Amino acid sequence: MSEKITKDMKNNMEKGQLQNLTRQQLKELEEKKKTGWQKALDWLIMILPFACGLAAMLEYWMIPNGSPNDAPYTYVWFLVVLMGAYLVYFVYSAAKKAGGDKTVLDMLRYRAPLLSALFLLLAGYDYLTLKAGILTQPFVPCMNYIINIAWIDRARLIECTLHTLRLLFLGYFIGVALGLVTGITCGYSEKVRYWVNPVIKFLGPIPTSTWIPIVMVVATSLFKGAVFIIALGSWFAVTVASMTGISNVDKDFFEAARTLGASSRQLVFRVAIPHAMPSILQGCTQAMSSACVAIMIAEMMGVKAGLGWYMNWAKSWAAYDKMFAALFVICFIFTVVTKALDLIKRKVLRWQNGVVK
Amino acid sequence: MSEKQVSLVLENVSKSFAKVENDEVTHALNAIDMSLRSGEFVSLVGPSGCGKSTILRLVAGLIMPTTGKITVDGKEITEPSPERGMMFQKSTLFPWLTVEKNIAFSLMMQGKYKGNEKRVAHMLKVIGLESFRDDYPGQLSGGMAQRVALMRSLINEPDILLLDEPLGALDAFTRMNMQDEILKIWQQKGQLALMVTHDVDEAVYMGTRVIVMDSNPGRVVADIKIEEGYPRDRSSAAFVEYRNEILNRLHFGGKK
Repeated sequence: MSEKITKDMKNNMEKGQLQNLTRQQLKELEEKKKTGWQKALDWLIMILPFACGLAAMLEYWMIPNGSPNDAPYTYVWFLVVLMGAYLVYFVYSAAKKAGGDKTVLDMLRYRAPLLSALFLLLAGYDYLTLKAGILTQPFVPCMNYIINIAWIDRARLIECTLHTLRLLFLGYFIGVALGLVTGITCGYSEKVRYWVNPVIKFLGPIPTSTWIPIVMVVATSLFKGAVFIIALGSWFAVTVASMTGISNVDKDFFEAARTLGASSRQLVFRVAIPHAMPSILQGCTQAMSSACVAIMIAEMMGVKAGLGWYMNWAKSWAAYDKMFAALFVICFIFTVVTKALDLIKRKVLRWQNGVVK
Repeated sequence: MSEKQVSLVLENVSKSFAKVENDEVTHALNAIDMSLRSGEFVSLVGPSGCGKSTILRLVAGLIMPTTGKITVDGKEITEPSPERGMMFQKSTLFPWLTVEKNIAFSLMMQGKYKGNEKRVAHMLKVIGLESFRDDYPGQLSGGMAQRVALMRSLINEPDILLLDEPLGALDAFTRMNMQDEILKIWQQKGQLALMVTHDVDEAVYMGTRVIVMDSNPGRVVADIKIEEGYPRDRSSAAFVEYRNEILNRLHFGGKK
């Protein structure tokens, strides 16, 4: 059924009949009506990314280069793809609005200024590097270089990316799993806490990177050593967070659950853990950021593979474009991972957000 | 009427607590004797610190008496059981479970949820919250939450219903409505209901029996049978008489 407010409904509303109102219709009703001028401005802002993309293209093409530029079309295609993606998003949102769902278009309107800024940022970067040479080539290579080299060296980049991901997730999951066990048992049992707490107090304040030289010497393989370091950092974050979460569980919930026939096992799994979930997931997010730091340091200091190693290796060959390419891949991976964690968190904790059905 | 008739007996029950701040011990209850049966609605009233909530928690099995014995049909209480349902002043609904799952909690704990969904649906219907089935407790008002909590403790059809100031946090109108709702449920099932309250009016309105307590140490000072049919009229002469008698026992009496 269409969510749009029909004439018929409007008549009903004027008579004070609001029974069949949906949430979205209510929101629309209570919103201040936008003037024609404001609406025009909204549309203008929504097509602004196209204008900025075009500006970036013109900047690239019209201003003469300050240094030689091979395979110049790559960057153009890159801009075209970005703009194309926005076009698809735009058309999809507009179609949704035509179908009655305004929220997608509202989101697009919200994001449009930032996306415009992204195109301007690209244009500015291109000007500073390739055109004006204020950022000297090839030390800070222009975007066209970076994309070209990423494509040329893709086999090695993919191999390194996979290596980094494998190391990251292996260490992370071992750390999180152990952290959950220690954190939850510590939060729950006084006896376990007695023995584990001093370890946390002692090891906790030491930054993960401190361990790297020691581990590189002691560990039988660098990979295992790196896994250990990443796991240690994650373990610490998750342990502390879940311990706090569990020991903060309101005792009333335990009493209520006991009168409802929960066994002590069920008190842990059906009351304490769900109640501590926000805190536990917070710990998992923290663990991921600590793991990301640890893996880069490990790869730059000893491990002979992965993106961190690739960056260092590229630097030693003065292949600065490769270095930047790896940097972008790293940014991309970490963003995706963080976003994914965030989505999981929101899904698990949907009971926390007030009125969302 | 409930199929099962039970009798709850407290024999010479005392409960003392160690104070947190110093080495002293608080004597919450001193040598309490009580005998209660199915079909009774017993109100416990008294000033704070008289140990009325302690009695409820002892009967629930959440704490153990220092001395004395509490038995249900001759069997001593050693741990909480869903056969003694309890409702608290705070709803203590689990915020991570939907309204439906909250009501079903006790069934889930015993692995009896599958096949009993209808019972949960029926409970929701009794309190008129069917449309809130999949909502989380955070979205409920105080009165709704207490209704859900009541159904949660009733899903197992307990022989004894323990009510620890269940309506204490509600506004006056919701409170009066819920008094009637609780009475209705109790009248249908005829369990033994044991309710702690601060409100003398509520105690007389709901109870077949009002036990008046005093503090330092916690003890029973009066056990008054309310010989009135339901529904009761709060302004009737008999009602006012009972209320005055109880207030006198609590040293709040105005006139003799």
